[in-house]
Amino acid sequence: MFEIVEWIVFIIGLILVTIGAICDLAGALGLLRFPNFFVRLHAATVGTIGGAVIPLFGVALIAAVSSQIGPFRWAVAGGAIITAILIMIIAPAGSHALAYAAHKAKIVPVEPKVCDLLEEYEKKKMEAKKK
Amino acid sequence: MLDVYLPIIFAIFLIAFTLYIIRIIKGPSVVDMALAVDCLAFDLAVFIGLLTLYFRTPFLIIGAIALALWAYILDIYIAKYFVRKEVGE
Repeated sequence: MFEIVEWIVFIIGLILVTIGAICDLAGALGLLRFPNFFVRLHAATVGTIGGAVIPLFGVALIAAVSSQIGPFRWAVAGGAIITAILIMIIAPAGSHALAYAAHKAKIVPVEPKVCDLLEEYEKKKMEAKKK
Repeated sequence: MLDVYLPIIFAIFLIAFTLYIIRIIKGPSVVDMALAVDCLAFDLAVFIGLLTLYFRTPFLIIGAIALALWAYILDIYIAKYFVRKEVGE
């Protein structure tokens, strides 16, 4: 009974690692092929959340049931889960900070643009400061 | 089973690393390079986790946490420099 549960957890971990590898390849291709920085942010999110968080959960599941690592397998599983949660918190924050800085310093053009509320707000603030 | 299956995953990850490095070298602006370095560091953390399973040594996973935090510090410093034109303390 217990061996069957271990096998199921092992297979789920392998599936998560495979999904992560495919997402990582897709994110890398998108980061290379997309035309603009603000479009590339989408591919970067695929590469970090899909390609780093999901396989780390898979690594944690595999390490929790593999008996070859020995008594330290719970340390490996815990470290993998901690790293996954950290990346899940800090990757969107870092991407958002980079996008805000690139928009504010005007180093890359905002190319496919429908409306830019941040630019209008800053223009309004500058005019109010002049008066 | 892990000995047979994990090298295939390693091959896919190495192809992705190569594409990220091409973007780091080509990158037209600094923020593009920073974004690519960010993705590369997070994927290296995953690679360390997979190497832990492949070599069956539990001490490699400690480096992954510091690697993830290092990429975040890089992002925040570059964003701070572009917004205020200073790094700060």
